[in-house]
Amino acid sequence: MTAAVEFHHIDKSFAAVAALRDVSFAVERGDAHAIVGENGAGKSTLLKILAGSVRPDAGELRIDGAPVALAGPRDALSRGIGLVHQEMLAFPNLSVAANIFAGRERTGRCGWLRDGEMRDRASALLARLHLSTSPDAIVDALPIAHRQLLQVARALAFDCRTLALDEPTTALTSAEADHLFRILGALRADGVTIIYVSHRLDEVFRICDRITTLRDGRRVETVDRARATPDTIVQAMVGRALEPRHHPIADVARAGTPLIDLERLTTDCVRDISLTVASREVVGIFGLVGSGRTGLLETIVGLRRPTAGALRIDGRSQRFRSPREAARSGVVLVPEDRQREGLFFNFSLRHNLALPAAEASGRWLVRGAERAAARDLLRRWRIGSATVDLTDAAPDVLSGGNQQKVVAAKWLATTPRVLLLDEPTKGVDVGAKYEIHGIIREVAAGGAACLVVSSDLPELLTLVDRILVMREGRLAGEVAAETATEEQVMRLAAGAAA
Amino acid sequence: MKQLRDVRELSTIAILIVEIAFFAWYLRPMDGRSHPFVNGANALLILKYSSIYGIAAIGAAIVIISGGIDLAPGAIIALTGVVLGSLFVDSHWSLTASALAAVAAGLACGLISALLIVGVRLPPFIATLGVMGIARGAAFIITEGRYFDVSGGLPAGWRPLGVPLDWTSPLLMVALALVFQVLMTKVQWGRAVFAIGGNPVAALYSGVRIELVQASVYVIAGLLAALSGVALTIVQGQGKADLAMGYELDVIASAVVGGASLAGGRGSVLGAVLGALIFGVLRNALPQIPGATFYDRLIVGLVVIVIVVMDQLLQRRRA
Repeated sequence: MTAAVEFHHIDKSFAAVAALRDVSFAVERGDAHAIVGENGAGKSTLLKILAGSVRPDAGELRIDGAPVALAGPRDALSRGIGLVHQEMLAFPNLSVAANIFAGRERTGRCGWLRDGEMRDRASALLARLHLSTSPDAIVDALPIAHRQLLQVARALAFDCRTLALDEPTTALTSAEADHLFRILGALRADGVTIIYVSHRLDEVFRICDRITTLRDGRRVETVDRARATPDTIVQAMVGRALEPRHHPIADVARAGTPLIDLERLTTDCVRDISLTVASREVVGIFGLVGSGRTGLLETIVGLRRPTAGALRIDGRSQRFRSPREAARSGVVLVPEDRQREGLFFNFSLRHNLALPAAEASGRWLVRGAERAAARDLLRRWRIGSATVDLTDAAPDVLSGGNQQKVVAAKWLATTPRVLLLDEPTKGVDVGAKYEIHGIIREVAAGGAACLVVSSDLPELLTLVDRILVMREGRLAGEVAAETATEEQVMRLAAGAAA
Repeated sequence: MKQLRDVRELSTIAILIVEIAFFAWYLRPMDGRSHPFVNGANALLILKYSSIYGIAAIGAAIVIISGGIDLAPGAIIALTGVVLGSLFVDSHWSLTASALAAVAAGLACGLISALLIVGVRLPPFIATLGVMGIARGAAFIITEGRYFDVSGGLPAGWRPLGVPLDWTSPLLMVALALVFQVLMTKVQWGRAVFAIGGNPVAALYSGVRIELVQASVYVIAGLLAALSGVALTIVQGQGKADLAMGYELDVIASAVVGGASLAGGRGSVLGAVLGALIFGVLRNALPQIPGATFYDRLIVGLVVIVIVVMDQLLQRRRA
């Protein structure tokens, strides 16, 4: 039996950085095959090679046993390979049906669009995916989860025989993810081969038969699910065993003075939020997409105007008009979308790292000090390595996880008293996640108050002292992390009767 | 999707109607004299001059929907007029041959833009800024300061294809608008233009032939500017190098007022033509108001801002 997809001694470098080195493994027809690894391990590059958007420097890609040189994404699609991207690649300005068929529209003579036929086919696909959306709806107006499933619909519309998914559940709630897994199960029953890239090992173990682990651009191992455990996979990914984290030091936290104090705070997206976070305390905020989590953080730093209620920082009433004012009072927000809100891709890492601290302190940039500070931050956050100095590199040479670390590092360089983090480990691998958690606890131990928004419930349960649950713009409840269960929190978030 | 877009063009039509109604009321004659604004001859005059902008605005709308910008139309219009005039008047070519050569010159300009943008990967603003200079410069070099009197060579009472001369360019505009409206909404190529403007990365991964489509957009814009140049030369009766100065911005304004978003992905060909008519009415009516002559550029500027702000407010409310 020939493999559906085989990577054969693949090498790929970007500039001087080797992304993939001599990677070989096969994905059998009809299998669900997971590719796991830390950020920067080379997973995304491998998928890009499969999707035809990146060409390997050496080695070959074999599809159904035959070597192929893909000319581009169009070529990969026509060979039955569909890719569901990590970033939501949709056309916000087009209808659902136009999105599904973009690039490969059904046409009559002279390229005349068969809109009726495409709409019917789209309706059938949406029904198969149990999506209640109309094929005429403009994608702009769709919830994020639907846009993700739209990509699956796209791949199905082209009768793809191999479906590769890159972190498809990062923006999905667990109910939506379950929905996706049911669909993937149905596709496998139809004989579709699935290649699944994820950081979430529970998902990998749930849906995949075989698991390939990459580390630093090399393949470490390919094993059957039955012969692996999450612990052995994590070890293969990081090359070392991670010590189990100690549970938060809740009693120390409670001794602190309240640094954040919200009283019935109300804006366009949140209502009547009252909460306090003490010095040395880490508090989590959980809620489904649209529950107002991000809006709450944005209100605190002055991106949204409160219409009622009070905000007190360290006992003093504040009404920040901009994140700049907030940062000058020691209140910083590490935003969720690192591409859009976190980094300047036209700046070197040095300038990226120095900007918030310089703006917050109002000092002029001092070149030498800036470079030394940047180098120090990069070392502390383990970005780059002892041999490679990245202070003058641009952010786009870094993997997603390392970019996220830079975003966090640049804000922490201002030594904030109040740290707000929005999905600090979204799309980040276990190793980096572990480090980021460690740093958040360290900042709290130094006397800061931390408020962490995350949709990763297991993460919150291990990281924070208390979890506040939001639903439809209001606080739906509070649970202590020590005693909370995932079910309990989900019930609050979803509004189900306790 | 269809409903939304219809709404957008209806609002442009509504603005046009309100505008016409306002000037019809404001310029109403005092005594029994005929209406200076509402009469057949004036309507034809508005259509005739609007069509110059309208034809080029079709191209501008397509470029803007693809996420680009084209600064060359004004210069291409001048170059076309000069080429036509020089061949027709100096070289004694037939009108058809001269016009075809002129259109070919406009196409060549579009092709240069396309090559610079797709091949050399220059930003569209820079590439078309350069082509604008080259086309305008070429026009000056050809004329050496003269102008070509085309009208003298035209047969009296000439009716191209049996259409009265004054009607040719409005009819050309309507025909081109319909053709490109269909191409943009009913044909795969048009869908690809919207896709590239909406999300270029997604378009790449979706297998859209980005480079081909992008190149075609600038070539078409060049072609339409050239057709507009031929129309203007025949309407005005002369080809000269300083023709259509600054038209590129009027043309972009028409497309934007007609609903095109400079962020790409949104807009319509019919809207752009309606936008050109809105400005055509303004340019015709304002000079008839005593003392308004010095205000007309200012009013045109205000109208652009007011219409686009209104559109954004409407969209925000809808969202």
